[in-house]
Amino acid sequence: MKRFTHITPTSIHEVIPLLSEHTRPLAGGTDLLTELKEGLVEPDQLVSLRKLSELRGLTFDAGVHIGALTTLTELSRHPQIKDGPYQALAQSARLAASPQLRNMATIGGNVLQDVRCWYYRGPFDCWLKGGDECPARDGEHHKHALFDQSPCVAVQPSDPATALLALDATVSVVGPDGTRSLSMQELLTPPTATRRKLHTLQSDELITAITLPDWAGWQSVYLKAMERATYSFALVGVAVALRLDAGVVADARIVLGSVANTPLRMDKAATSLVGQPLNDETIAAAAHVAIQDAQPLPHTHYKAEMTQRMVRHALGTMV
Amino acid sequence: MPKLIKTKVEMEGRTFEEYALVDEDELPPWTDEEELGIVGFPIPRVDGAERVSGTAQYTHDVRLPGMAYTAALTSPHPHARLVSVDVSEARTLPGVLGVLTRTEVHEQLQGGVRRMFTDQLRYAGEIVAAVVATDPDIARDAVALIKAEYEQLPHVVDIEVAAQPDSPKVHTNGNIFGDKPQLVERGDVVAGFAEADVAIEHTYRTATQLHSCLEPHGSVAYWEGDSLTIYESTQHVFGVRNAMARWLGLPQNKVRAICQYIGGGFGSKAGPGAHSVFAALLAKQIGRPVQFMLDRTTEQIGGGNRSAMVMKVRLGAKNDGTLTAMDLHCLADVGAYGPWLPFFAGPALMSYRCPNARSETLGLYTNTGSFMAFRAPGFVEGTFAIESAIDELAMALKMDSLALRRQNIPDHDQTNGSAFSNYPIEECFQQGAERIEWHTRTNGHTSSQDRIRRGIGMSNQIWWGGGGPPAYATVEVNTDGTATLRTGTQDIGTGTKTVLTQVCAEELGLPLAAITTVLGDSGSGQYAPISGGSMTVPSMAPAVRSAARDARLQLLDIVSQMLERPVEALEIRDGQIYEGAENHGPVKNLIGKLGDVMIIGNGSRGPNPDGVTIITSGAQFVEVAVDTLTGRIQVLRVIAAHDCGRIVNPLTYRSQIEGGIIQAIGYALTEQRVMDEHSGIQLNADLGDYKIPTLADIPEIEVLRIDFPDLVANPTGAKGAGEPPIIPTPAAIANAVYDAIGVRIRELPMTPDKVLAALQQQ
Repeated sequence: MKRFTHITPTSIHEVIPLLSEHTRPLAGGTDLLTELKEGLVEPDQLVSLRKLSELRGLTFDAGVHIGALTTLTELSRHPQIKDGPYQALAQSARLAASPQLRNMATIGGNVLQDVRCWYYRGPFDCWLKGGDECPARDGEHHKHALFDQSPCVAVQPSDPATALLALDATVSVVGPDGTRSLSMQELLTPPTATRRKLHTLQSDELITAITLPDWAGWQSVYLKAMERATYSFALVGVAVALRLDAGVVADARIVLGSVANTPLRMDKAATSLVGQPLNDETIAAAAHVAIQDAQPLPHTHYKAEMTQRMVRHALGTMV
Repeated sequence: MPKLIKTKVEMEGRTFEEYALVDEDELPPWTDEEELGIVGFPIPRVDGAERVSGTAQYTHDVRLPGMAYTAALTSPHPHARLVSVDVSEARTLPGVLGVLTRTEVHEQLQGGVRRMFTDQLRYAGEIVAAVVATDPDIARDAVALIKAEYEQLPHVVDIEVAAQPDSPKVHTNGNIFGDKPQLVERGDVVAGFAEADVAIEHTYRTATQLHSCLEPHGSVAYWEGDSLTIYESTQHVFGVRNAMARWLGLPQNKVRAICQYIGGGFGSKAGPGAHSVFAALLAKQIGRPVQFMLDRTTEQIGGGNRSAMVMKVRLGAKNDGTLTAMDLHCLADVGAYGPWLPFFAGPALMSYRCPNARSETLGLYTNTGSFMAFRAPGFVEGTFAIESAIDELAMALKMDSLALRRQNIPDHDQTNGSAFSNYPIEECFQQGAERIEWHTRTNGHTSSQDRIRRGIGMSNQIWWGGGGPPAYATVEVNTDGTATLRTGTQDIGTGTKTVLTQVCAEELGLPLAAITTVLGDSGSGQYAPISGGSMTVPSMAPAVRSAARDARLQLLDIVSQMLERPVEALEIRDGQIYEGAENHGPVKNLIGKLGDVMIIGNGSRGPNPDGVTIITSGAQFVEVAVDTLTGRIQVLRVIAAHDCGRIVNPLTYRSQIEGGIIQAIGYALTEQRVMDEHSGIQLNADLGDYKIPTLADIPEIEVLRIDFPDLVANPTGAKGAGEPPIIPTPAAIANAVYDAIGVRIRELPMTPDKVLAALQQQ
């Protein structure tokens, strides 16, 4: 493993000048440390965020402001997140990883985590790492994409990212030129030939907070399919946020996770529900629309069936 | 005087005729339960405190003064010829103490083991060279400085491809293990099918299961003069001693192998490995103790595995359910160097009365990590196939599947004509069926539209587990009334140390707390067999009893002279000398007068009975819940009914049953090695993408008390419990899934993609 130094600044103003393509911010470390050991990233310096206490915790006004260093455990247990319109976020946090990892992992790091593709993580010269081809396309890809977004078929592994997109989160970022705000869709985008990563954050920028709007009157849910009961990345994640008005769908958002390079908003499916009552028929139709544009790989056809069943069930919980 | 005998010893389906030295005195059988006050009781582990407090020293924990650490360069190619290795740069890195290549190892070894160290590399991950340094990080950094040149050769990682005539060749002779299929045949299969009213034929597939020992394989080796001491994470300290002596050309008494605690041994730690050889030779090279523990990646690739299999099962039966013919075919993956063929047909050929049966196993070499014995090798796979097929046959016959099994239970071992030592299978069927409420089964006729569908299934189980000689022990009685039991066996986490302490205390008449058991060291204990094949307790318990009995008889003889009472009238109970109801006081008060005397009892395991097959048998009944959204199967309940002879300790017995079932659940539902066919590289050589069960995947496990001492097997009546519990679980789960959703899944693991595909067939 390449040697590196470690520094622990005490304020965010000290952190930003230290960030560059040769350094990496260290929050929970649950992804970064594994990548260091595997030689996937080789920074000269780790910049610890441990002492930036202003980035921890939740504050509520009309919506909710979540410090980037808030752990998944805190999110999953917070009484104002656990029940009510933000429930999908708490569910997604609780269904991620294991208790030990959730105690360390931060929400800022979680949405930026690297893909779990075994070709990317293994000794392969894959496209996402700068190579010419994606070996997963013709290889062992039963956990990979259902929707094609780039030459890479790895999927976004974050459970909370799927819920956050459904809840229309805004990401606050600070960099050398000050602060900026991004939507989840602006942050998490498919990789391109010149940007071989699944997000648009620059190496000298840091996520400081994630903000959710006021969702009063809405309900939300996150469902996750795994190979075992717990401690597994999602095969498919489904987040639904929905507002009913006198038994009729006033507004809806359906987001799929672990089926593409990014969490995917299924706007056509969601819109198909608006103005309709939630019943077996409208739900089945929306679930069908959610997968009608799928482009399964040879071994990911099952994900279409799984997605359809899960969307149906998620909507069914809201009747 | 010990006598020389010739005896049949069975090890996981392979029978050997061996010489053994045994005691001339025959040990009287433990016939009367009432007489036993320690054996049969739930004694907590004698080493439990060490295990849970972190003071137990595993091989990985061994730290010796000056100890150096090893890291290995492994082959990046699945099949290649090693052209050259340049270690000069690695050697110059500060902190590096030594480097050794496989070519150099080849030159320093003797015998057949040299085939593991040729210039041919047969799987990606095979060790090419090792660096030893003052610190593990330096060793790893130095590995990156080794320059190896390879000539890449065509590879094959899939058995069905390897079976093709134009497949790349793993070995010069081709890919077929032993150059031909292994056949077992009885009666006339063609006639048997002609006689059948109903015939079924299905193909069942299983994936490669990795041992995933929590403590990887590893050694710490050091030399004192020309004597080698090796700490090894092993299931057989004497196997390590003898193999290292043979390979290095050393006398057996110049090698000492030690394993006090081990973090998992399921068959792959039967003896020393390539890492042991590197550790010993590097320790010699640098004159310091050397630790070589495999890292997780190397463990998951080269640490051994359960063969992937493709099994074709054809069964024929009369309308009344009488089996008339069985025809079984199997392709089995033995990896790069698999040493033998797992007996997949064993469960079918032994469990069912069928005069006409034939099995054919084609072992295939592939460019992958080698098959090594894995907890009931062949039987877990074969039971999944035959027990699924029996359920499918029952459907075709419109019979209850348990009734079909009951109707075809044999009264002797049809593979060799011998009687079974004991076969209380009906008791297991009856008790298990009652607990699971077998009558509630719907046979797949579910009309449920619920998200979660429940089902019940069962499977039959058969295995050996009788143990045998040679196995030795000594018991030393000290003048303070304590005793030390010494033997060269090992406790691989199963509770052997506790069980043998119980046996010793029981036979000696001393309280449990008065016994210290010393094992896991070839330098202080006598020869004991491998802890594999469910043979530790049935081999060791009689040997320990015989040593304790020898010590007790000597002790009573001495006491009788001191008390001037007839020896026949005296006995030892709970550390006291009794003559009928009269208490002559504690043992220590009497022999304490003797000064520095030590009473030494010797014991050995007697021969197995002739003309008898010693078996363990049983059945498991399971309830599952299938999630129709996600396709995930959750096992809700397992009822385990296993005959393993006398239960010496219900707590350690229960641990064994639970452990086997949990490992089987992983095999049935989530565990599979994934190979990239194009590159020949293993994609999930870790514990992240290779998924063993978590606590949340483990169901309620109910262990029924089937406690029939098998006194035909040996005078203690105990048989092995290590392997039986893993055998029937996967088949029982598959049968329960059918009951839940009405669709048959014929491939393990039953992952969500397969379950969803099955649900879509509905």
